[in-house]
Amino acid sequence: MSANGSRGEPLLVVEDMVKHFPITRGIVFQKEIGRVRAVDGVSFTLNKGETLGVVGESGCGKSTMARCVMRLLETTSGTITFDGRDITHLNGRELMPIRRELMMVFQDPYASLNPRKRVGFIIGEALEVHKIGTPAEQKRRAQELLEIVGLNPEHYNRFPHEFSGGQRQRIGVARALAVRPKLIVCDEPVSALDVSVQAQILNLLKSLQRDFDLTYIFISHDLNVVRYISDKVAVMYLGRIVEQTTREQLYAAPKHPYTGALLSAVPDVNPEVARSRKTIVLEGDVPNPVNPPAACRFHPRCPRFVDGTCNVIDPPLEEKSPNHLAACHFPLESWPLSDLRRPAEQTTSP
Amino acid sequence: MALLEVRDLKTHFHTDDGVVRAVDGVSFSVEKGKTLAIVGESGSGKSVTCLSVMGLNPKRGTDVSGEALFNGRDLLKLSGEELRNIRGAEMSMIFQDPMTSLNPVHTIGRQLREAVHVHEKVPKQQAQARALEMLKAVGIPRAETRTDDYPHQFSGGMRQRVMIAMALINNPDLLIADEPTTALDVTTQAQIISLMSRLQRDFGSAIILITHDLGVVAETADEVMVMYAGRAVEQAPYKGLFYQPHHPYTWGLMDSMPNLAGDETDLTPIPGTPPSLLRPPKGCKFNPRCRFVMDVCRETEPELKPVPGDANHLERCHLEEAVKQAEIERITTERLGAVS
Repeated sequence: MSANGSRGEPLLVVEDMVKHFPITRGIVFQKEIGRVRAVDGVSFTLNKGETLGVVGESGCGKSTMARCVMRLLETTSGTITFDGRDITHLNGRELMPIRRELMMVFQDPYASLNPRKRVGFIIGEALEVHKIGTPAEQKRRAQELLEIVGLNPEHYNRFPHEFSGGQRQRIGVARALAVRPKLIVCDEPVSALDVSVQAQILNLLKSLQRDFDLTYIFISHDLNVVRYISDKVAVMYLGRIVEQTTREQLYAAPKHPYTGALLSAVPDVNPEVARSRKTIVLEGDVPNPVNPPAACRFHPRCPRFVDGTCNVIDPPLEEKSPNHLAACHFPLESWPLSDLRRPAEQTTSP
Repeated sequence: MALLEVRDLKTHFHTDDGVVRAVDGVSFSVEKGKTLAIVGESGSGKSVTCLSVMGLNPKRGTDVSGEALFNGRDLLKLSGEELRNIRGAEMSMIFQDPMTSLNPVHTIGRQLREAVHVHEKVPKQQAQARALEMLKAVGIPRAETRTDDYPHQFSGGMRQRVMIAMALINNPDLLIADEPTTALDVTTQAQIISLMSRLQRDFGSAIILITHDLGVVAETADEVMVMYAGRAVEQAPYKGLFYQPHHPYTWGLMDSMPNLAGDETDLTPIPGTPPSLLRPPKGCKFNPRCRFVMDVCRETEPELKPVPGDANHLERCHLEEAVKQAEIERITTERLGAVS
């Protein structure tokens, strides 16, 4: 939605990023007995001024992926290129200038603000850390930020508990904005909020993006919210991206059966539509990422499963139509569908 | 006669700062086998309404008045002992957070058996059989091997299923579900919703569903009550509520919901935040956030009255019907897409 001319250049390029957490046994001589494959080969490119929405069920690795991009977690392998620079292996001091450009808004506005610090301090702390401006300037900037996010600058000296959930999330946004970052990672920023307040925060994030030419990674499990805010959407399942395309294409013509199941599960607010349509209910839960299923990781839950193909050959994430990547051997032919099974199967069985 | 008939329920908490009127004169009824959805933002009093009906509010400093007739008895007048006999047997509750509402130090099987033993003296084997049967009914795979597991060995959706199994194990007439799917993913939410409607068909229980997700309401509710600041602002059968929404707050909720059917570039949030219940605004409690506010709204609070032509559809607003119809037209076309 940005009008800035720099839009279109890649800001963040992630290539084949892997993050495994070892499971160890023993205290002195820790022996690795397994690994949680939280993120297992994720690649994407994010252009300046764009919003990448990341959707998926809990446990699919979307937050771990974001934390790796933020360099809050060490990646196991792969490269992260930010603004033309490989930041994958930068150490603490080299990272400092990069940290200014990468900021994060967290999910829980109650847990992510220090209850013993005043709001002005919370917002201005990053300025102090990065030694930007004199204390007086920092205070002015914090007050300015409060105003930008729609709070009263006079509330500078208040504590977080004096604010409601939505107001606290505004403080979280102001804190992320303080050092004028280029990329903000929003990890489920509205899922703890009421719908009316949720819309306020979404509109705020959108207008800030226009005003400050921000780039967002927006993580959410709510497909409605992602549709509202994103330019591109990546759907994650068990540590991998299974589908990635523009917002319009993803919601109008999903290719991966998992995306289809997710979309069909979103409740509709029109009661007649809601009661007449058939929800595709996926059986079971997301499998354990310690022992992910072989080949296509979605195959045990997939209504289009073909024995001998889906459980043997891992489908690559490839272009199914222009700018539309999906990792599936039998992508959906059309949308909407009330039955996700392959057309051949639908005719043979009831 | 309705299964549960609540009349003029008031729950007031006495705090150091003054009296909080969390629920202030709410009336509703739930029929056998039907679903009533209570919708509203946090702090609107929807949970307190249900806790009052269940007799689960703290005794000290709380005034509960009104009537709650359940199977002919007034729940608000029963002793603790009598309430304990009803809770978990004739009516039960599913809480919002499946992560914290199971006891982490006891096995699932033991917690389910306990729910049986509290109300019936049956041998352990029989209670165990019932537990197993319920776990199968709510769709826990390999239920036999999982009764000896602890809650941490289950995923969020599974734990919510266990909660539902526990709530239904004594075959209650009324099930109160407080945001049962809010903490869950869409796919799990779809599983839980279809499970609840299937169990409602099989067991014939009535459900009170507390939620702020209008999508879930559209899918499951028969009757809807919209609450704001401790009061019902609109009460109607689901069709009336979605196709003829009459209160500006209901409009606000519909306008602020991102929706797959609606236009993706247009969300109108309700400005401001819900009022403090310690010092609620004068007149209509919604007036500081209302786009249609008039002078009269700031002075007198409107009565809950039927809308013209529909005695089952109640609302609490001063706005003229002609003004409303224009807005209803806009909302239903914009937010619901095609309307029949």
